[in-house]
Amino acid sequence: MEYDRILSDLLNRDEYLVVGKKTVRLDALDKLLGKARFTSDYIPKNTMTVKVVRSTMPHALIKRVDTSTALMVPGVVTILTAKDVPGENEIGYALPEQPFLNDKKVHYVGDPIALVCAIDETTAQEAMEAVVVEYEPLPAVFDIDAALAEGAPIIHKENNVAVKTKIRKGDIAKGWKDSDVVVEDTYWSPYQEHMCLEPEAAYAVPDGVGKVTIIACMQSPHLVREKVARVLGWKLNQVRVIQALTGGAFGKKDDTGPLISGYAALAAIKTGKPAAYIMDRSEVLSVTPKRFPVRFKYRSGADGKGKLTAVEVEITLEVGAYANRAPFWLWRQTAHACGPYEVPNVAVDGRAVYTNKVYGGSYRGFGNLALHFAAEQQVDKLAYELDMDPVDFRMKNILRIGSRTTCDQLLDNSVGIDKCLAGVAAASDWAKHREPVRIGTKIRGWGVGCAYHGNSTSRSTPDWSAASLMIHGDGSLTYRTAICEIGQGSPFGHAKIVAEIIGCNLDSIKIEQPDTDSTPDSKPTHGSRGLMMGGTAAADAAIKLRERIIRVASNMLDCPEAHVELRDSQAYNRKKPSVKIPFAEIVEEMHIRGENPASYGFYTSPRRFFDVDTGLGYNYAVYTFAASVAEVEVDTETGQVEVTKIWPAMDVGKVIDPLMVDGQIHGAISQGIGFAIMENLQLKDGVVTTTGFKDYIIPSALDTPEIDDTIVVEEPYKHAAFGAKGVGEPSIISIVPAVVNAIHHATGLRFSTIPITPDRMHKALKEAGKK
Amino acid sequence: MKPLTGFSLLRPPTLVGALEMMSTLEHAQPIVGGTDIIPTFKDLGSKPVHLIDLGLIEELNGIMEEDGKILIGPTTTHTQILTSKVIEKTAPALHDAARWIGSVQIRNRGTIGGNLCNASPAADSAPPLLVHGAEAHICSLEEGHWIPLLELFKGPKMTVLKPNEILIGLRFPTIAGASSSFQRIGRRKGFTLSVVNAAVYVERKDDALKEARIALGSVAPTPIRAPVVEDKIRGKKMSEELIDEAAEACVEVAKPIDDVRGTAEYRKDMTAVLVKRALREAWRRTGGEL
Repeated sequence: MEYDRILSDLLNRDEYLVVGKKTVRLDALDKLLGKARFTSDYIPKNTMTVKVVRSTMPHALIKRVDTSTALMVPGVVTILTAKDVPGENEIGYALPEQPFLNDKKVHYVGDPIALVCAIDETTAQEAMEAVVVEYEPLPAVFDIDAALAEGAPIIHKENNVAVKTKIRKGDIAKGWKDSDVVVEDTYWSPYQEHMCLEPEAAYAVPDGVGKVTIIACMQSPHLVREKVARVLGWKLNQVRVIQALTGGAFGKKDDTGPLISGYAALAAIKTGKPAAYIMDRSEVLSVTPKRFPVRFKYRSGADGKGKLTAVEVEITLEVGAYANRAPFWLWRQTAHACGPYEVPNVAVDGRAVYTNKVYGGSYRGFGNLALHFAAEQQVDKLAYELDMDPVDFRMKNILRIGSRTTCDQLLDNSVGIDKCLAGVAAASDWAKHREPVRIGTKIRGWGVGCAYHGNSTSRSTPDWSAASLMIHGDGSLTYRTAICEIGQGSPFGHAKIVAEIIGCNLDSIKIEQPDTDSTPDSKPTHGSRGLMMGGTAAADAAIKLRERIIRVASNMLDCPEAHVELRDSQAYNRKKPSVKIPFAEIVEEMHIRGENPASYGFYTSPRRFFDVDTGLGYNYAVYTFAASVAEVEVDTETGQVEVTKIWPAMDVGKVIDPLMVDGQIHGAISQGIGFAIMENLQLKDGVVTTTGFKDYIIPSALDTPEIDDTIVVEEPYKHAAFGAKGVGEPSIISIVPAVVNAIHHATGLRFSTIPITPDRMHKALKEAGKK
Repeated sequence: MKPLTGFSLLRPPTLVGALEMMSTLEHAQPIVGGTDIIPTFKDLGSKPVHLIDLGLIEELNGIMEEDGKILIGPTTTHTQILTSKVIEKTAPALHDAARWIGSVQIRNRGTIGGNLCNASPAADSAPPLLVHGAEAHICSLEEGHWIPLLELFKGPKMTVLKPNEILIGLRFPTIAGASSSFQRIGRRKGFTLSVVNAAVYVERKDDALKEARIALGSVAPTPIRAPVVEDKIRGKKMSEELIDEAAEACVEVAKPIDDVRGTAEYRKDMTAVLVKRALREAWRRTGGEL
């Protein structure tokens, strides 16, 4: 099923109606005016407040939890501990090592122990401080080397390795023999906090007869339902989960959604009262998952002609207290280890290591941001070693149709990285910027970064998505998807796909908030799959409904089906366009003729596979590609780095909306720059010390560089609706290496650790005698 | 972050009323914009009892030029400072500093008195006022007195104000042929605390420094002056060499610490850079050449 062609044949239009065109999102105005409702907006005043008593020790046995004094605080409704969990006391994502409430052992400062339910926040706070937890402290480990050392304290299991990965491609020994130049380095990529504007919030209402309704911010209502039902010991149909508009997520709320919903739901069913749990900013920063820190040891080789010969990587992922998404994260890094280049001989070994710190989790780019920070510097270094232009060197090795990836996946469609790279090189006048320029106390330099990112699930996990569509008597439509609106606009992209296929007006479609009682399971909003998988399910639902509309319309218009055109929520005969029938009339006729006005769309990704022993196989359905050039200015007196301009390019398969592609790229540039030069989560003895916007600095609008027009490459993915691929995650990946390589171009300094803050830059310049 | 507990908000219309409240009520705390105080309450979970809003007292607000002195009321907002032609002309460093305090919203609410009484070592309004020789008017119901601004600061987040006292005014002289400059390093371009800041004041006589004053922020428990360096360069002929000498000498004066915003070493080195930049700019602003 080659969707891009099927659709264009089916629609038979010279030009698409809405796909590929700039449109104002249906939700834009409400958000702009502050009318959009987020979770907290649904919580009535005087709702019972839930607060979480958390571990103050990084690693300890729990000897006793005494709630008796706290229960006596006036206004306390109840205090719940592990023994009050009716179902399984387990909430781990990949591995079953994460208790919902801890009663035996704590693994980091922030581990949940008890839920305080009280009439208001002040009372809950007072009671929380009165809960006594007695610990028997255990030795704690705060870095990967300490965790791997012989005789290290055991966090969950012997040797503290949660999971391992491996790739063996070609013959690595031959690869080194063929190499004329070899570069080696060790890179460290730290935590990054998401800093969603909306802190986590969940509201749960019990109905007293074995059902609870949850409204919360999240990225997958069906995952939340599954996890909460397990904790409650209930069936899936007893838990109703509604995703409220989510004020920023970036992956984090895929991880926190089940936790916060579980706290509110357990409190609600245990007390019989509606319950609200709202995190404050310091709690978000201290205890919720961050981008996983990781160390890469890289060795890369190339021959004298500039062809990559070998890449060997050792990946040590720091997972923190719980593995959470680590197996998938580590696999992504392993499978993308060479960057978007063809390398014949590859050896990658990865391991994910526990420490007693806040744990890692999903974050835009899922492993590939850190990976490309390292891999793209390796490629840059090889180019310099060979005295080749960094763009030319990349071009010689870049993935094309017919290339094989790090894990030996043959690419037979949708590979546009060469066009992205050529595009940004031309737009930025790359060839003219080969010498850094001194301007007063500043030096200006230019760098390039490339990236690729597999769409959909890792480790060849089967992937599918669903959607539903209903046309009403007045011709308006209800569209349902469990792909969540988290700011990115994916559901609106689906609506555009539907509007294109059905020929209805865009504003005649109402996108419902995901609700597990009525919305089909579209699987999570993660893995760059929201548009590529979810949008294709939307197309499936729309094609089915279109067929019925066309059938009825052709009869009403008395013309062959092939002559029926649908647009502006009307049907007409292409050969005789003067007679138009509004959808309202067609829908009435559909009912009379027994044509179902509702349709269910379902889409399964082609089966993938990989060999566990070699790591080789068909790993990802398709890849999104990106390239960027960055211009930076480094103040050699102060060490301050300013990113002054970015030239972005992306191969997105097919643009559904250029404004939304730009929106993703512009946001990614800011977040990427933050990670590269600014954001610095700090911990002391396992305790996060940067607990708010004041101390954890992210870029502001003033720090946003000039952004050149996006170069959009459209190499359609043959199995997705219109050929569209994911944009939001891959858009950030090339930014960090472009900035870091530009900093090297300006200063001659390589940074193997980020962020490159002014004090680090100043120190490096001083040591290099370049101040 | 802790929930804010209940408190009484009192809004006296007169200074006497406010001073009476300060001397009779226990745990009374003046407030105007609340941009520092409210987050502090939440961070520390402290329980304010009586907040005395000084915002209605007209005589505490505004900027006046009188008998060769600039008078600034403590409830004057950063936006008022930033948009004052008088300040821009007579104390350019203070104008420079106001531009970088918080965001537009913070500058609209936050006040110069609050910025000083919050006694952050990184307060951006302190170094400019210090180099302009500002004095602070401290008043209780019983008495009022002027002290040099430097004496207001006792330590991080600590002032010499007694529980019954309020800062009711600031003043500094206007001198012909003088100018000043303020420089800072933040961790991004705006909306952020200074990692280190510095202000320099100069009076020029031909090509010589008739008077020079230097103040540094975020390099000690309080904003500080650098009198040793000032003495070294006062009266000297201005030159790039002199600027370098002053900047290097300031590094010895700075006694910073490592914190989440930056390392001590970085702060020391940046003291030199900022002093250099401020000296050059202040000198140029007097019409001096280099």
